[in-house]
Amino acid sequence: MIAWWQILLLTLYAGYQILDELNWYTCAGSAVFSGMITGLIMGDLQTGLFIGGSMQLTVLGVGTFGGASRIDANSGTLVATAFAVGAGMNPETALAAIGVPVAAILVYTDIAGRFANTFFGHMCDADIEKMNWGAYNVHYLLGAVSWMLSRMIPVFLALAFGQGLVEGITTALNGDWKWLGDGLSVAGGALPAVGFAILLRYLPVKKHVAYLLLGFVVAALFGTAFTSIMNLNANIVAVNGALGKGAVDMVGMFNNMSMLAIAIIGFALSLLYYKNNQRPVAAAGAAEGDDDDEL
Amino acid sequence: MSSNEKLANGTTGYKITKDDLAQINRRNLLGFQDGWNYERMQHSGYLWIILPTLRKLYGDGTPELKEACRAQCAPFFNTSNFLNTIITGIDLAIEEEEGIEGLEAVAGLKTGLMGPLASIGDSIFGSLLPTIFGALAANMAMNGNPLGIFIWVVVNILVDWFRCKQTHMAYEQGMKLVTTMSDRLNALTDAASVMGVFMVGALVATNVGIVIAAKPVIGGVTVDLQNICNMICPKLVPAALVGFVYWLLGKKGMTSTKAIFIVLVLSIALGAFGIICKG
Repeated sequence: MIAWWQILLLTLYAGYQILDELNWYTCAGSAVFSGMITGLIMGDLQTGLFIGGSMQLTVLGVGTFGGASRIDANSGTLVATAFAVGAGMNPETALAAIGVPVAAILVYTDIAGRFANTFFGHMCDADIEKMNWGAYNVHYLLGAVSWMLSRMIPVFLALAFGQGLVEGITTALNGDWKWLGDGLSVAGGALPAVGFAILLRYLPVKKHVAYLLLGFVVAALFGTAFTSIMNLNANIVAVNGALGKGAVDMVGMFNNMSMLAIAIIGFALSLLYYKNNQRPVAAAGAAEGDDDDEL
Repeated sequence: MSSNEKLANGTTGYKITKDDLAQINRRNLLGFQDGWNYERMQHSGYLWIILPTLRKLYGDGTPELKEACRAQCAPFFNTSNFLNTIITGIDLAIEEEEGIEGLEAVAGLKTGLMGPLASIGDSIFGSLLPTIFGALAANMAMNGNPLGIFIWVVVNILVDWFRCKQTHMAYEQGMKLVTTMSDRLNALTDAASVMGVFMVGALVATNVGIVIAAKPVIGGVTVDLQNICNMICPKLVPAALVGFVYWLLGKKGMTSTKAIFIVLVLSIALGAFGIICKG
C-alpha cells in the first residue's frame, strides 16, 4: 500500500527534481537519487537504491544532447520503486515492467511541457514591447510551472490510480505468467548494457579502445576474484557452523570489489594521458635541436 | 544618474559591478532553463538572467533598453547550461563598452559560440561527469550503499561553483577568453574521455547481469556453455551484449528508446526459453 502522504511527498519531489536537473543540478534529478528518496519515503531504502542504481546505468549514455526529449529515468525509478515496495514486486521485475515503460511514456508529457513554454516565450516577447518587466518575470517563471506539472501530473496519476493495476500484474507475474516475470527480471539485468552501448557511441571509442579493453579486463578479473573469495568465505562460515566450531564469523572481512578503487585506476590512466599529451610540443622542440646539432 | 543623461552609445555609462555578476549567477543557477521551449529554446532565459543589469546599463524606460532586450530575447539561443555564462560575461563586457552599437557583435558572438560551447559542455558536464560519478553512485547503490550519491552531489556543487566563477572570468577577459580557453579545454576533454572509456569497460564487466543458462547435450555430453565462456574471459556474455547493442545503435532510424525496448523484448524471450538467465 502507498499512503496518501507518501503520494504527496513523491509528487512534490517529482516536481522539484526537474527544476534541479534543469538549473542548479545537484544530481537530485538523476535516477539513482530518485531511487534513494523514493526508497526513504516508502520505508525500503535498499529496494530504492537497487532500482535507482540499475536505472541510472540503463540511461547512462542518454544525455541532454541538443535539448532533445529523453526517456525520463527519474520518474520511472520513482514509480517503479513505489510499487516494488507498495505492491511487493521483485525489484528487477519492477524496473523492467514498470520503470522503463513509465520512463518512456513520460517523454510525451515532457514534450507537452516544452510546447506550453513556447506560448510563454511569446508572452515574454510582448512584455518587452511594453517594457513591463514585472510581467516578463511572471511569464518567464510560469515556464517552471509547466516543467513541474509535466512530471507531477503523471506521477500523481500513476501512484494514485495505478495501484490496483500493479497489484494485479504482480499477482499474475508470480502465478500463471511466471515465465514473463522471469523474463522481465532477466531484462532488468540486461538493460544496463544499453546505457553502456549508447555511451560508447558518444565517446571516442576508436581512439581510446585500449582503455576500454583495460577497464573491462581489470574489472572482470578482480570482480570474479572478489566474488569467489566471498563465496569461499560463506562456505567456510557454513562448514564451521555445521562442525559446531562456533561463530568463526568472517562475514564482513571480505567485501565486494570497490568500484571507487577501479575509478582511481581510470583516473591515474587519464592523468598519465594528459601529461603525455602535453609532452609532444616540448619533445618536438628538442628533436629539432638534435637535428641542428647533427647538421 | 537620471535616464535622460545618455552617452553617445546609448548607455547611462553604468559600470557593471561584482554584485551585478553575482545576481546574474544567482538567476542562472535558479532558473536559466525554466523558459526552455521548442521554438527558441533558451532565448527568454538568456535575457532573464541579465535583465536587471541591462536595466541599469541602459536606464529604465528608455528606447535603448527596449532595443537591447528585443535583440537578446527574440533570436533562437541554445547552448550548454554549464557554460552559457561564458557568453553572458563576454556579452556584458562588450555592451558596457559599446552599448547598442555593440548589439550586432553580441548577436554574432552568441550564434558563433553557442554551438562549440554546447558540444564541449555536453561532452564534459552532460556525458563524462554523469558517466563517471553516476556510474559510481549507481554501482555503490546497487550494493546497498548511498555514499556514491553524496560524492556525486559534492562534485556537482563544485561544478556549480565553477559555473559562477566563469561568469566573472568571461566578463573580465572578454573576447580574449575564447582563444585561451579552447586549447586547454580540448586537452582536458580528451584526457577525461580516457577515463570515461575505461569506466565503461569496467562497468560492462560488473553491471550487466546475464549468463548463459542453456546446457545443450551434444553427443551424450552436457556442455556447460557459461563455463566455456568463463575460461576464455570472465564476463564475455555481457561484453557480447554491449557489442550487439552498440552495433544496433549504428543502424539507420535507431533511437536509444527503441534499443531499450528491443533489449527488453529479447531478454524476456531468451529468458522465458531458458537460454539466458540472471547472473
